[in-house]
Amino acid sequence: MPEIRVTPLGAGQDVGRSCILVSIAGKNVMLDCGMHMGFSDDRRFPDFSYITRSGRLTDFLDCVIISHFHLDHCGALPYFSEMVGYDGPIYMTQPTQAICPILLEDYRKIAVDKKGEANFFTSQMIKDCMKKVVAVHLHQTVQVDDELEIKAYYAGHVLGAAMFQIKVGSESVVYTGDYNMTPDRHLGAAWIDKCRPNLLITESTYATTIRDSKRCRERDFLKKVHETVERGGKVLIPVFALGRAQELCILLETFWERMDLKAPIYFSTGLTEKANHYYKLFIPWTNQKIRKTFVQRNMFEFKHIKAFDRAFADSPGPMVVFATPGMLHAGQSLQIFRKWAGNEKNMGTVGHKILSGQRKLEMEGRQVLEVKMQVEYMSFSAHADAKGIMQLVGQAEPENVLLVHGEAKKMEFLKQKIEQEFRVSCYMPANGETVTLPTSPSIPVGISLGLLKREMAQGLLPDAKKPRLLHGTLIMKDSNFRLVSSEQALKELGLAEHQLRFTCRVHLHDTRKEQETAVRVYSHLKSVLKDHCVQHLPDGSVTVESILIQAAAHSEDPGTKVLLVSWTYQDEELGSYLTSLLKKGLPQAS
Amino acid sequence: MDPECSRLLPALCAVLADPRQPVADDTCLEKLLDWFTAVTEAGSSLLLLQENPCLVELLFHVLKSQDLSSRILSFSLRLAGIFAAQENCFQYLQGELLPMLFGEVGPLGGAAWTAPAVRSGWIQGLRTLAQHPSALHFLAACGAVDTIFSLQGDPSLFVASAAGQLLVHILDLAMRGPAEGRRSPQACDWPACAQKIVGHIEDSLCSTAIPQVTQALSVLTTAFGHCHGLWTQGLWVRLSPLVARLLEKDPVPASHSLVDLLLSVARSAPSSDRGLWETLAQTLSHLSPTQAGPLALGILKLQDCPQALRTQAFGILLQPLACVLEAAAQAPGPPGLLEGAAGDSMTVDTLLSSKSACVGLLCCALAHLGLLQPLPQRPSPWPQAPLLGAAVTILRLCSGSAAPTSDVGGRLCAILVGCGRVQRAALDFLGALSQGTGPQELVTQVFSVLLEYLVSPESSSMVLKKAFQATLRWLLSSPKTPGCCDLDPHTQLFLTELLPVLQKRLCSPCWEVRDSGLEFLTQMTRHWGGQAGFRQALLASEVPELTKQLLRDPESYVRASAVTATGQLSSWGLCASPECPGAQQESLLVELLHILSTDSEGFPRRAVMQVFTEWLRDGHADVAEDAERFVAGVLQAASRDLDWEVRAQGLELALVFLEQLLGQRGSHCPYAVALPETAPPGVLAQALQVLCRVQLFEFAFRALFDCDRPVAQKSCDLLLFLRAKAAPCGSPQEAGDSPNVASVEATLQRWQAGEQGQPLGYLEPGAVVALLRSVDLEGLRDTLAESSDHVEKSPQSLLQDMLAAVGVLGENEADCY
Repeated sequence: MPEIRVTPLGAGQDVGRSCILVSIAGKNVMLDCGMHMGFSDDRRFPDFSYITRSGRLTDFLDCVIISHFHLDHCGALPYFSEMVGYDGPIYMTQPTQAICPILLEDYRKIAVDKKGEANFFTSQMIKDCMKKVVAVHLHQTVQVDDELEIKAYYAGHVLGAAMFQIKVGSESVVYTGDYNMTPDRHLGAAWIDKCRPNLLITESTYATTIRDSKRCRERDFLKKVHETVERGGKVLIPVFALGRAQELCILLETFWERMDLKAPIYFSTGLTEKANHYYKLFIPWTNQKIRKTFVQRNMFEFKHIKAFDRAFADSPGPMVVFATPGMLHAGQSLQIFRKWAGNEKNMGTVGHKILSGQRKLEMEGRQVLEVKMQVEYMSFSAHADAKGIMQLVGQAEPENVLLVHGEAKKMEFLKQKIEQEFRVSCYMPANGETVTLPTSPSIPVGISLGLLKREMAQGLLPDAKKPRLLHGTLIMKDSNFRLVSSEQALKELGLAEHQLRFTCRVHLHDTRKEQETAVRVYSHLKSVLKDHCVQHLPDGSVTVESILIQAAAHSEDPGTKVLLVSWTYQDEELGSYLTSLLKKGLPQAS
Repeated sequence: MDPECSRLLPALCAVLADPRQPVADDTCLEKLLDWFTAVTEAGSSLLLLQENPCLVELLFHVLKSQDLSSRILSFSLRLAGIFAAQENCFQYLQGELLPMLFGEVGPLGGAAWTAPAVRSGWIQGLRTLAQHPSALHFLAACGAVDTIFSLQGDPSLFVASAAGQLLVHILDLAMRGPAEGRRSPQACDWPACAQKIVGHIEDSLCSTAIPQVTQALSVLTTAFGHCHGLWTQGLWVRLSPLVARLLEKDPVPASHSLVDLLLSVARSAPSSDRGLWETLAQTLSHLSPTQAGPLALGILKLQDCPQALRTQAFGILLQPLACVLEAAAQAPGPPGLLEGAAGDSMTVDTLLSSKSACVGLLCCALAHLGLLQPLPQRPSPWPQAPLLGAAVTILRLCSGSAAPTSDVGGRLCAILVGCGRVQRAALDFLGALSQGTGPQELVTQVFSVLLEYLVSPESSSMVLKKAFQATLRWLLSSPKTPGCCDLDPHTQLFLTELLPVLQKRLCSPCWEVRDSGLEFLTQMTRHWGGQAGFRQALLASEVPELTKQLLRDPESYVRASAVTATGQLSSWGLCASPECPGAQQESLLVELLHILSTDSEGFPRRAVMQVFTEWLRDGHADVAEDAERFVAGVLQAASRDLDWEVRAQGLELALVFLEQLLGQRGSHCPYAVALPETAPPGVLAQALQVLCRVQLFEFAFRALFDCDRPVAQKSCDLLLFLRAKAAPCGSPQEAGDSPNVASVEATLQRWQAGEQGQPLGYLEPGAVVALLRSVDLEGLRDTLAESSDHVEKSPQSLLQDMLAAVGVLGENEADCY
């Protein structure tokens, strides 16, 4: 029985490292290869031993597909390809291919620098891994091999994020990765055509949330930043260099322009310059407005936002600084935080301990830092909310839905909603659980022109809306199927025709001679089968269409006659009917 | 336990037990369990529970609570397992708590059991707990073993696999002990628990359901792989007939697991077990060519194994290549791979059945033979020549340059032409074969097919990379002409053909290809830079010029590789044109310095630093000319770099310079306590003057307070080395009193506080020595030895984080970027 099997090694009922194995029509594909940044041991990577035990990795897996550059979707890639030993192709979009190694390199440096970890992947490994990448364009069908093909669709979320359709023959799976169904200031909304896959694997981060108006969130953010700057404070915005940072930059840039504000805005150097470079390079991946106005003004060339220098942090007066990394656990954002945390005039948007309300933090070397600054948490993440997910399901019209990248409780709610609204099965496997979906693959068959012409000659015009029964001979040759007339089949294959007849014996109690029994049979059938051609042949046998009936004496019982009935497969129905009729016996002679 | 942690624990337990308080994230619970494991490993669990009664209360509360999350329930099961691993603590908890947690009245019978996390927690809890004989009685009494049997077929891979491992663990625990050596293969004197498990395995092996057979086989594989007690031999004697019976079925069920088991047994069994070898031989002949490959490789890797079996196994690996050779043969030629035997029909059928089967079988055979090639226990004689022939033939079939006349050959050609997977596997294999020799005619064919791939526009970037790697391996292993240090004529000829191709590839629009080409050039130059033939061929080509142009490549990876390649070329004097050697070298140094100060990406700058360090170490002519000026310039550029790896590399360069001035460090062994010898005062004073002039101290002291730990660590090591060398130089008082030292110390303090704006200014050697003595370098080194997230990683911090998260989680949705 053909089937599709899905096993999440990560992102099954959790929002950690995404890594989903899909088997479709004998092909094995790994969707995303993410890392869990909460761990600093083996637990940060998906447990690949579940794949390696099926034999050599490169022989088992046909390809790896990466949906976007966030490390929870691609962070384990160099480990998987250079340390575990996967040597096959890796597919991703061009922006992902360009940005992914930068983030991997950045993370490697933090792991080695901050945590002093040995046995981590090296720069050379990242480069060697990136050499295995094959870039795909949006809506381009890429043949992985003769049977497996993939196609990327725009997903919003971050630059270069894509949803992927994986197709083998008539069976297909769509994997969304992370996506956003509403356009924002720099990216468009996710879109997919009505591809009716057997299965849609969708993220469900905001499975139960209908997100409040984006404008409200933005207004709130701008208001708080403005107030802080007005009272002479400094604003620290820890961000990840790539992704939402650019959205906030555009937001502040337009606000500063409109309000004619003078306080400087800085962006921490290094990664971010590179990020903006890539946004300029991949302008076709941004939203329509940015693309349209690009000729007059590149939205990523900011007038008010300048590169940050370490010395600026000590300057008096208000300022806004975007600093990496977003979790405030190392690097520039942490350094600036240390300097500014003591002043209640300042404001920061940060994660972790400070976010959870701690006001006294122990830093390195047992120094205690008192946090007096205001701390605000604002989410600008670009995931589809419950409404968006439903919208995508409606758009793609899948036969089944499978939820990943979300919390179990929230998934449960969304699962019910999807099942109710779309009348399709919805699954939410935990990590390590396999969902198996039986499929009924449709196999294309070519019909010979001769056969079609013969059908036409019978005066029956084809009607696309009605199924039609067509007789012919199915030829399987070189993995192709063709339906041809039996004469053509015989000719093509050089075979002689043989006739197959079904035969049956019916015992009749009749003491008369065989010829007389035959006459009785003829009269009976003639009276019963009025629409058929019943004949009594000179040799004593009776025919009804292709059915032949002969009467013979029983070898042991002279009071019994044996009727030998035989027919061809074309008259199968009539033959069976006749046999059952004769088995009931002949009417008594009057 | 830390008193502060003890103080925080009751509050944390209350939070965990409260279903209205969601836990921050699953990593917190995992880390909490890591911490409890460490605490119980270091001391008594019983004492821990007695001193912190909140822990037992938490476990009781979890049992009573109806609407607790599956994560907390799973956590509690694992926590209980950690405590009960110690026998006295097990006794303490056994009365009520453990049966309620792990018995049928517990989660096992409830709705929570549907969550895989709970089933997984239950297994892991028992796995940790089962460390002592009392645990075995407990497992038997609460009927846990039957539940584990059923969990072997769990829909979750993780749970099913953990269940299998737990069974092995229990079996091992039951079978070990004083009576172990005396146990017979018959079950009558085995402990009841072990009998039950073995009985279950026997039933499963006889089952008609393949999943059950697979489960039994994988449990046995784990047992033979991990348990090394005498009892495993008895187990094999008892179960081997059942395993052998699987071979009677057609097709052989669970073949993959069967192969794993047989190899696992073979690795642990004594070599005299004839029955085992017979089973292995039978299995080899029963399995399909694709299935038998891994078994054949495993057999050939075994240390002791009958020759007949090895021959059979090697035949399996060679068979696909033999078929290809036979199919592609134009006329009856030299003896094939398997002399006398025609291509096995089953292998030919597999090769021709479908493209995926053909590609799969060939790739496996090539990979397996490639793995076998370097092993000491590889079959002997090793059929190097036919294998070379096969690899070349496969590559030609893939490129379409072979024109086999036979029907099978034609069909193979149609299947393989343009197949990247087979090309990659064959190139890897060909590279591996470079370790052996071959007849010159074949070696010429190897080089010609490699060149064909390097030239072909059809070759993908990955295929090109592998072709470069294989070519490099063949070139470096090519024989030297006896009595002459130069290249042999064939290699020389090949080089003249290769360099124009490399030239073309360095201009490829694909960065991966340019980069692989540069990596190839670097390696070749490193090994052959001194060979006249190579130098001549290289200098006659445009490769050095093109490499230099790639220093301005748009792709940073390529720029970095170009830096390394030009650095290497320059080390061998291969960058310079013969007319004016000095001018070009000078410009390369300037160009690399320019890259170091201006390139926006870290890779090229790091590569420059590596080249410079190598140049300084090897006494590169242009560096040696004015080493002082060179070092000063490089350190100045490196000190401003944003990339910590460049700064760290700067310190490496500084250290090389120091060693050249003052002599080698005492010992490179990190565990040796030998101090470096002090330098003679005259040399030292002079050296210190030089170091001051190149501003090495400004660089090193700034690095000492660098926000990136590896830089600070490296600087600390460097200054400690210098201090040891400078020990006899002047008395502390005379230099320490100078006003220069006081102001420098003040500056250093400001640097330490994070204000690094002010420069140090010019330092006198005497002041340097005084400073080296006054700064607490040892203390700093100890502080730096701890990772910078050690505070964050401490248990206290973890508990605080979890407590602080209470109440705020609802407001702040997990923001996945």
